[in-house]
Amino acid sequence: MSMPAVMRLELRRLFVRPLAWVLAALTLAELAWRFVLLLGAFLANEVKLAALPGGPGYTDLVALPTLSNMLTGSGALPFGLAELALLVVPLLTMSTLAGERGNGTLPLLSSTGLTPAQIVLGKYLAVLAWLLLWLLLTLAMPLSLAHATHPDWGKLAAATLGLALALATLAAIGVACSAFASHPAVAAALSLAVGLALWMVNLGAALAGVDNGVVNWLAMSSHLEDLLRGLVSSADLLWFVLVTAVALALAMRRLAVERERG
Amino acid sequence: MIAPTADAGSSAPPPASQPPLLQLQGLGRRRAGRQAVSELTLSLQRGEILGLLGVNGAGKSTTLSMIAGALKPDRGTIRLDGQDFAEHPELARRLIGWLPERAPLWQELTVSEHLEAHGRLRGLSGAALRQARDAALARLELGDLARRLAGVLSQGQRQRLGLACALLHRPPLLVLDEPANALDPVQVAALRRIIREEAAAGAAVILSTHVLTEVTAVCGRVAILHEGTLRYASALDDADRAALERRFFEIALQGAKPGKAAA
Repeated sequence: MSMPAVMRLELRRLFVRPLAWVLAALTLAELAWRFVLLLGAFLANEVKLAALPGGPGYTDLVALPTLSNMLTGSGALPFGLAELALLVVPLLTMSTLAGERGNGTLPLLSSTGLTPAQIVLGKYLAVLAWLLLWLLLTLAMPLSLAHATHPDWGKLAAATLGLALALATLAAIGVACSAFASHPAVAAALSLAVGLALWMVNLGAALAGVDNGVVNWLAMSSHLEDLLRGLVSSADLLWFVLVTAVALALAMRRLAVERERG
Repeated sequence: MIAPTADAGSSAPPPASQPPLLQLQGLGRRRAGRQAVSELTLSLQRGEILGLLGVNGAGKSTTLSMIAGALKPDRGTIRLDGQDFAEHPELARRLIGWLPERAPLWQELTVSEHLEAHGRLRGLSGAALRQARDAALARLELGDLARRLAGVLSQGQRQRLGLACALLHRPPLLVLDEPANALDPVQVAALRRIIREEAAAGAAVILSTHVLTEVTAVCGRVAILHEGTLRYASALDDADRAALERRFFEIALQGAKPGKAAA
């Protein structure tokens, strides 16, 4: 009973704060702009593309690139959802625990008999619910033209799964950073730094002349890229589940230690 | 010193056969590099009102945080209704209502939403939750503020909302940390009335304060903490009320050694 109560409380707090609405409005407007630009480019070349046997279609040139830059390169286009998530998630998660600590309401939650796991999971699921709604609203853009095109549903489903897992992982990292930080702004900065590091650790390593399997395995982008291309492998799924579980376990441990040490 | 009201200290302990609702045994806790609470042993029966007195930094808030379940003791045990609190932290949900110092609130929620959130965290739902919310709003005279955001409440209103949240699920143990903070004299009188009503209904109340008149006005027993240790504990009859102030200053200024046997 208590974890849903924490989740409901956190969702309510998210939805009455202007920050969540401002982030949703700005990012959806930006993604809509990106979608329109991609669609315009697709329509301009539609005839040429139709002449190519097995050439890329609406899914490869509009639907998937709306979700991420990874398949198209950044070029002159605005960010896709995956890149925006690196900025949005830290802002959404920064107050989950650091804000409670600053308010003095964290001990109040503990005094209702809630375990650290119930507090962390309740807050995490609330943020995740907001992020999944954000993903669905973004997907609604390419799907709104599904009746007039022939989307590759399998590829789209794999990409959606990949993005949902990436959002879940970034949210877990954000909640963990909020558990460790003394102030929400510190939590946001920490979460952004960890998210960016995980995102492009392989690119940084490649620039430094290091290119090996371990570094590539560590990078979130390499796992997400496979899923965005429609390749679902258990190794990629395991990476997301593992990082999410480790981040949430760290957050729970931090709260337990805080209750013990005061 | 304010003269005690007619029913001050009238909270009668239940029959001796009933186990104490709250039992602290050798409780200790280090905080911020010093021993905040040390070897604290106390018990509280249903219907009793215990005043925890002490100067700032005496260990009152740390003690109440441990009783409320927000802080784990380093040593010693807390037994709630005969059960070990460390083994059954879920007891807090049903048995304890806690008003922390300065009544922490979620600034972005309304008064009504606060009560609903606290009710859900305590396991209330549906009609029972709405009934408890409305009763708390009426009892603390918060009805007119029900839709106001907590962030814009005055300090006194915040304190009343914090108390309403603590009382919402009618817990058998009320833990109140400086409950009269920022309340005006009329509100203080209402607070005392509520505390007496809760005790008369069988709840045990432990309230901390550094204001002697708060203790003499409502408490049936008093415990004085100094530098984390219990220096004095006694039932409070009329003679003691007159002497309490002198005793308190003796302990606060001279660090007197433990007085009457702890209850």
